[in-house]
Amino acid sequence: MRARLRVVGAILREAAASAWAQPVASLVSVVIVAAMCASVLLTTGRTVGAEDAVLSTIDSTGTRSIVVRAEAASGLDSTVLDRLANVDGIEAALAFGPAIDTRATAFAGGAPVPVRTLWGGGLVDARGAPAIISPAWASPVAIDGLGLLDGTGGVASDDGRDYSIVGELAVPDYLAFLEPLVIAPQPDDSVGAVSVLVVIADTPDLVGAVAAATGSLLAVDDPTTVTLTTSEGIAQLRAIIEGQLGTFGRELVLVIFGISALLVAAILYGFTLLRRKDYGRRRALGASRSLIVTLVLLQMTMVAIVGAAFGTGAALTTLAATGDPLPGADFAGAVAVLAVVVAVIAALLPATVAARREPIRELRVP
Amino acid sequence: MSEVGTLPRPARHGALLAADDVTFGYDRAAPLLDGWSQRFDAGEVVAITGPSGRGKSTLLYLLGLMLKPSAGHILVDGVPAQALPDRERARLRAGRFGFVFQDAALDATRTVLDNVCETALYRGDDPREARMRASALMERFGVQLRAAAKPGQVSGGQAQRIALCRALLHAPRILLADEPTGNLDPDSSRVVMGAFREHAASGAAVVVVTHDPSIVAQCDRTVEL
Repeated sequence: MRARLRVVGAILREAAASAWAQPVASLVSVVIVAAMCASVLLTTGRTVGAEDAVLSTIDSTGTRSIVVRAEAASGLDSTVLDRLANVDGIEAALAFGPAIDTRATAFAGGAPVPVRTLWGGGLVDARGAPAIISPAWASPVAIDGLGLLDGTGGVASDDGRDYSIVGELAVPDYLAFLEPLVIAPQPDDSVGAVSVLVVIADTPDLVGAVAAATGSLLAVDDPTTVTLTTSEGIAQLRAIIEGQLGTFGRELVLVIFGISALLVAAILYGFTLLRRKDYGRRRALGASRSLIVTLVLLQMTMVAIVGAAFGTGAALTTLAATGDPLPGADFAGAVAVLAVVVAVIAALLPATVAARREPIRELRVP
Repeated sequence: MSEVGTLPRPARHGALLAADDVTFGYDRAAPLLDGWSQRFDAGEVVAITGPSGRGKSTLLYLLGLMLKPSAGHILVDGVPAQALPDRERARLRAGRFGFVFQDAALDATRTVLDNVCETALYRGDDPREARMRASALMERFGVQLRAAAKPGQVSGGQAQRIALCRALLHAPRILLADEPTGNLDPDSSRVVMGAFREHAASGAAVVVVTHDPSIVAQCDRTVEL
């Protein structure tokens, strides 16, 4: 085992030494691979970054949300959440009771802010910690409206119900339409009337199916008393944007990698011909064909890794400096790995040619 | 040694290398070697001579398993080696053979020490031990140069001595040399031939292609092509 490791180490050192001993070939290869990575990242990478930003914006506005508005006579109640719990593809479901206007008890005659009862969890407070909503939480907009200086205080409805606001609530974008929002959490086993049901699908493409399932599980007597709105149109737009940008990016990557692979192969082939005497000598002295192929490919791998690192670093620095959207680390990493793989594949033909040099022919080259 | 029963000389210490009824030519109509047989024994230095174009170097490459005869056998320790797979022939070249070429054939991009140690990689030898052996050989042949010296910085005589060190690094049992003194001054030629004689005395077979009468005179026997 130790002997085998020693041989592997010796082969790696020989490949590194060969790369170092051929500065022009190595430098040209580094530049090509670096250019390959940089051009992909500066074109497709920028597109991917922009795509991520656009999709993120679309997603944040509720691409995956389904909103059901129910009239008081509909009979929709919080038990709908139990039925939805059995449906796959739902990330979260929140049921809000009818809005009850309240005013801050400390300022008689202040602006009214609606309080809604809430079934279902998943909301977080302003610090990002899970919200233990008891007895009531208010969004910043609601706190401003109520005039609560430190975010806490009492509110009361016209019909005499009192709520104690104990904290600030971070309102997700898909609940923005309920602002100003004050929520009073209800025990899971309690049942009450629901006026707004918000369901979030796992992914945008599931919105249609989840909406259909939700509609069928509302259990209302008169369907005309509820309205169901979805973001399916936005989801479709999202899919179109994703598809078009993705296709454009893939084609560009293929073209860039294809051209670069041809360049690497042609240049390496040229350098192989220039060093044919070297390969002939190696063959004569006992190097097997497989060893020569291994050495050439290892040499290219090392050079390509350096090139990929330089190209990726330079491209990301440029994108950051110009304020352009940055592709994710996984995309940049995948491009670098792909560039190395493409370069090594492109080196296969020159490596095979190098291994096929006949010593007697090459050693007689003047 | 029944495989070499047709060979013209009886074994002295046993044939390390032999050609048995070998035919080879780049032009089928006019083969350079046609049914050629010869054996090379341990302990002898054999000169191969003949006019230019008669296939002296080609014969050396055949004996060194770099070319395959169109008919006949190349026997290494009595084993037909020309039919072995490339990997095995390469292993034999790296382990059993040592080669000295006319122009030294050093890698100009590597240091002289790297050049001397080159074949250690092909045998899978310990690089550290190879460097120690290489240093000792280079000292012995008067080419103990600074570590970073490249072949381009040494004279032709030094280059050939470096090539000799490379060939002797693993004390090969068969040493093949193609016009090894062709570009050398008399002093360097003497060093090279002295090394060949010394190596043969240690039990190796040495085959030298040459057209230099003074070299031929120092060999145990001559094979004329």
